[in-house]
Amino acid sequence: MVTVRSESNLKNATMNHDPFAWGRPDDNVYGKYNQSIAQAKNNELDAFPKMHTQQPIITGTSVLGIKYKNGIIMAADNIGSYGSLLRFSNIERIIKVGSETVVGVSGDISDFQQLERILEELVISEENYDNQGENNLRAPHVHEYLTRVLYNRRNKMNPLWNSIIVGGFDNDKTPFLKYIDLLGVTYGSSTLATGFGSYLAIPLLRKLIPDDKDYSNIEEEDAKKVIQECMRVLFYRDARSGEKFTLVTVNDEGVKFEKDVEVTGQSWEFAKNLVGYGSKQL
Amino acid sequence: MNGISVDINHLKKGEVSMGTSIMAVTFKDGVILGADSRTTTGSYIANRVTDKLTQIHDTIYCCRSGSAADTQAVADMVKYYMQMYASQLPIDEKPTTSVVANIFQEVCYNNKDNLTAGIICAGYDDKVGGSVYSIPIGGSIHKQDYAIAGSGSGFIYGWCNENYKPNMEKDECVQFIKTALSEAMKWDGSSGGVVRMVILDKNGVERLIYYPHEIKV
Amino acid sequence: MSSIGTGYDLSNSVFSPDGRNFQVEYAMKAVENGGTSIGIKCKDGIVLACEKIINSKLLVPGKNKRIQTIDNHIGVVYSGLLPDGRHFVNRGRDEAQSFKSIYKNSIPVPYLMDRLGIYVQNYTCYNSVRPFGIVSIVGGIDENGPHLYMIEPSGSYWGYSGAATGKGRQTAKSELEKLDFENLTVAEAVKIAGKIINQAHEDNKDKDYELEISWCSYDTKGKHEFIPDDLLQEVLKLSQEDDDEDDEMES
Repeated sequence: MVTVRSESNLKNATMNHDPFAWGRPDDNVYGKYNQSIAQAKNNELDAFPKMHTQQPIITGTSVLGIKYKNGIIMAADNIGSYGSLLRFSNIERIIKVGSETVVGVSGDISDFQQLERILEELVISEENYDNQGENNLRAPHVHEYLTRVLYNRRNKMNPLWNSIIVGGFDNDKTPFLKYIDLLGVTYGSSTLATGFGSYLAIPLLRKLIPDDKDYSNIEEEDAKKVIQECMRVLFYRDARSGEKFTLVTVNDEGVKFEKDVEVTGQSWEFAKNLVGYGSKQL
Repeated sequence: MNGISVDINHLKKGEVSMGTSIMAVTFKDGVILGADSRTTTGSYIANRVTDKLTQIHDTIYCCRSGSAADTQAVADMVKYYMQMYASQLPIDEKPTTSVVANIFQEVCYNNKDNLTAGIICAGYDDKVGGSVYSIPIGGSIHKQDYAIAGSGSGFIYGWCNENYKPNMEKDECVQFIKTALSEAMKWDGSSGGVVRMVILDKNGVERLIYYPHEIKV
Repeated sequence: MSSIGTGYDLSNSVFSPDGRNFQVEYAMKAVENGGTSIGIKCKDGIVLACEKIINSKLLVPGKNKRIQTIDNHIGVVYSGLLPDGRHFVNRGRDEAQSFKSIYKNSIPVPYLMDRLGIYVQNYTCYNSVRPFGIVSIVGGIDENGPHLYMIEPSGSYWGYSGAATGKGRQTAKSELEKLDFENLTVAEAVKIAGKIINQAHEDNKDKDYELEISWCSYDTKGKHEFIPDDLLQEVLKLSQEDDDEDDEMES
């Protein structure tokens, strides 16, 4: 049977012609649709599935870096935290990139591992393909490359959740030390620290090197001493830090990794005399 | 709300999840995986005899924790990847545990925004013997001598750290897992039921099961 | 080449009535005129070497390398049309990277050869392309030890203990056949490789050549790299000593 729609039928049309609700009854037929049925309401704020800008899960805390006379020194502990749980204690967060550059990473460990893979690819293509004995990849190149990677990811609203310190030598063979973070922000200094270290370590480091150019007077021994001091303060005051760390020295002799270095010179004995709330002097 | 973009938030809300106690431990001849058997939706036990130990290849397994749907989908994907990979290997060769674990990592990392999956991948291969990899949510990968995960694991970090020994005998290792999981299941409301184990060594696969009356602590 | 002019050699998507693909065979001709390349598989690694013909005195000595690296642990040398070789190597690098991005481990050599074999074979199937004008010798170390392969314009490839291609291949092959591959070390093989290339150069004597040798062994920690300069000089000297001896015998 064929029904011919009459003029009057069209006038009483009960279908909603809004493209977003096409084919549904008009509101004046049954009233407004009850969005609360089956929790079908649409809250734009927590709409997903495409929900980038995640959050860090397993994290590494501060990285410290300092320039000295002959090169740079970098330090980072070996803890991988899961919230307040110190879940992993064997994480090496400072990696060698090429033959004379190191990269120290704090923040999300899965993103750090991704960065490791990205940098390995960079090394293979820049150092190993058709390399005729030159040392092509230096710290400023690695640094510039990382700023691009991090900034691109933040523009995709999908950042790599890390703060990074790159250390090595500049093109003129002077020590090189620069910082990059998840926003693509970057700066350089003779003394650098990420995370908690930027509050607790920077003041101590700057006490040794008050002005940026003064690093050229600093001996390796003194630089190491202040790093050890910073790691001690961080161990005292950063609840996500560990007692063992990796200390890396880059100088004209090459890159030297010292692993499982312990925080030394701790002082706890004074606790004995602190009784009660501490307001009373004994 | 309109006809084109449909709200799906409620799909994740009441999700079936495995608030779990899982672990995998290397021993002298290989590796043993262990898990409880409880799956919950909120505080209702949706399945009390779940099998959370999933085969990926002949002697490579994984323990699943987090969303049941997500981890099943990921395990199925990795299993498929491994079938493709293994078919390209010479006839007398089998995939290594590290390759399987790295594919888990790849999938979990690339889809981190949409997944709730904490996986332990463990297996035996002739090249390196038994090995254990932990792939927590977020998609990092960590090679370990033994790994514990799931909501129940929080109660047994200390016990495991004190009592784990490298190169245990098989029986000793079974006992270690049994005690650890019993304790986790005792304190974690989201873990419970039976203890399942899978032993992987040069002889292949052996399954064990311990019923609640056998593991009272 | 009895079928020249019958039209079956114009396209590579068409067989001749006797079942041959002439374009592929012509590609081999391009290879047969190229500088000699060889590969030797030893018990502890592999050695690649090539006779780089100097086409102009203006070329910078020691640069413009012919031996290339596909991945840290895999090297390649080829004879024939050099730009084709560059393209082949680029594809190899892409395959190695794509494998690593999924499995996180370095690509095993046989896997790479599978993939490159498929790629090269594809260029024999379509009217719109020509086959690769190269024969490549690919060698490297993976978790199963050293591997050496040679792949031809047809896309077929075989594993070898010793492989040679290019103009001096016959001379080189007969020298390679004398070797005891099971007990050979890369340290010995680089010297032999220098000699073989020098002997194979007899077939191309009107032009000067430069010797290139690379290796990939347990001593280089599985990395494919050129042999050190002082070793290369030593190898060169050794291979030239033979020349002098030959000359003396002749006189």
